[in-house]
Amino acid sequence: MAGSVIVITSGKGGVGKTTTSANIGTALAHMGNKVVLIDTDIGLRNLDLLLGLENRIVYTIVDVVEERCKLKQALVKDKKNPNLCLLAAAQTRDKSAVDAEQLKDICEQLKKDFDYVLVDCPAGIEQGFQNAVAGANEAIVVTTPEMSAIRDADRIIGLLESKEGVEKYRLLVNRVRPKLIKSNDMMGVDDVVEILSCDLIGVIPEDTNIITSTNKGEPVVNDEKSLAGQAYLNVARRIMGEDVPLLDIDEPKTLLDKIKKFFAKKAQG
Amino acid sequence: MYDNEFFVVDMSSCSSTGEIINSLSLALETLDHSGKRIILKLNDSNLNQSQLLSIQSLITSYGCILDTIETLNESTARIAENMNIATQKPIEKRVESVASDVSNDGFKQFSLNTEDNNSIALKDVNGLHFEADLDAIKNQQENIDIKSDLRQAGINPQEDFDSIEKQVISQFQNPAKNNVLEDNFINQNKVFENQQDNQEEYLDAEKNSIGVYKKAYDENDVTADDWEEVDFYETPTNEPVVSDTKSTTYINQTLRSGQILESEGNVVIIGDCHPGSEVRAIGDITVWGVLSGIAHAGYKGNKNAKVRALKMNAVQLRIANCYSRRPDGTNIPYIIRSSIFTPEEARIVDNEIMLFKINQN
Repeated sequence: MAGSVIVITSGKGGVGKTTTSANIGTALAHMGNKVVLIDTDIGLRNLDLLLGLENRIVYTIVDVVEERCKLKQALVKDKKNPNLCLLAAAQTRDKSAVDAEQLKDICEQLKKDFDYVLVDCPAGIEQGFQNAVAGANEAIVVTTPEMSAIRDADRIIGLLESKEGVEKYRLLVNRVRPKLIKSNDMMGVDDVVEILSCDLIGVIPEDTNIITSTNKGEPVVNDEKSLAGQAYLNVARRIMGEDVPLLDIDEPKTLLDKIKKFFAKKAQG
Repeated sequence: MYDNEFFVVDMSSCSSTGEIINSLSLALETLDHSGKRIILKLNDSNLNQSQLLSIQSLITSYGCILDTIETLNESTARIAENMNIATQKPIEKRVESVASDVSNDGFKQFSLNTEDNNSIALKDVNGLHFEADLDAIKNQQENIDIKSDLRQAGINPQEDFDSIEKQVISQFQNPAKNNVLEDNFINQNKVFENQQDNQEEYLDAEKNSIGVYKKAYDENDVTADDWEEVDFYETPTNEPVVSDTKSTTYINQTLRSGQILESEGNVVIIGDCHPGSEVRAIGDITVWGVLSGIAHAGYKGNKNAKVRALKMNAVQLRIANCYSRRPDGTNIPYIIRSSIFTPEEARIVDNEIMLFKINQN
């Protein structure tokens, strides 16, 4: 069975593409899938840090392309989960070291052995983006509820639609803060979906655990208490085709809120 | 009189107040002493009241109490007594003299070694500074190592001071046992293997911060079975290359992420090598700073090549066709990285890369 190649992209930088890739990859591997993560951000690699695999990288995607090693040799196994592999980007080169055809070729080869090939796309719409999208047949567009990120996501969706091979693209709204949405200081998830008119694959709440997990080099899905981790697990389930309702990301209600709600209902009734 | 509450800090090799304060802060930083009562050993240097006060306040700032000062100098003792600090004359002279002999040996060995390696650039540029720094480094290392050394020599550090003292003296007097101590130290330096999931060992490694680079690959690490058959850059030749015949590249800047420095001879970097940078040399690599990137010495197959750094935090060390990587979880955070320096040298022993403290071989 050939696996699917999913590109994780956003256009704008800093919205959480790499964090999303690391977490969805780990979550999918947890559920028993064979997963390979490809970092295409050549020259500014970060995915290895988030997975805590920085010290194991010897060969990179550039070495594979320039035939200094075989593809299998460049795959770094995860510390905890043998189902998860990383194909790291080179730090000492730039995006022009790889072209779209070569990346497509790598994706085709990996598809045979893995259930999911997740491609972490660099920011921007230049060569790096073109490379990353080349082999993909699905896309996850990451955005945050901010105008700038939404505009960039819109541009990306336009580019994805014109690309052959990308059959499906879905939206992931990251760094959502329910409190700000309630006070009308932040755009709601519904508004974002409406503006972009795109299927939603998940909503990830803002979570301070992300910062510590990034520094530790351990994806937040491993932390059961983390709300963002739960949300990423749900996203992984949806990728696998399960129908999972959206996570209730509201902050836990106080007793006072509940009483207010009760009386409001009574008044209406 | 001695028990777990007390901590003896030996500063008898320091001559000036600045040196004492420097070494003392290093010693207090490295281990958790909070709440301990400090017994400070000084030599016969003459300290006035303000100097003693500053030492006392330093100790207090680390959450410890200056309990006793051990000094030969009469006036220092008098001033200390005026400040309500107990004083005493040094008692265990014998142990001290043996210990100082040992450390002197280490010192001599170090200077001999630099001559062996002919790292002329290092000596020419910084010979003086290095010797000056050595005392501080030595003191700090003694403090770190004393507990683990005791444990390895079969002495329980939790025992009371008198019995430890007796055992240490007997071990120093007995040459055979002394060798055991030394052997243990070398073993401690050896590359740990098969410890991937042992968190405790990682923690220990972090404390000692030496000799814990492991082989680049376990079977689990990489999916390929035949990685060893592929050469990384060029086919290694096994001809020994004498590094002092090579030219030396001298760089006075910080290597940043993504930068590569490649040299046909030796490399001396005055500055740090940040994570993501790479240094490749046919000869030796010497980093006068924190080495956090990848270093590949003797990359054309010279197995005698060495990597030295004031602080070894390298993601990967490669010498000739040997690879090793930093154990997980031992990354020295950016914040504390410049406070403690333990100069280390990496070289190949039995086809494995091993780390050695630079002044104790």
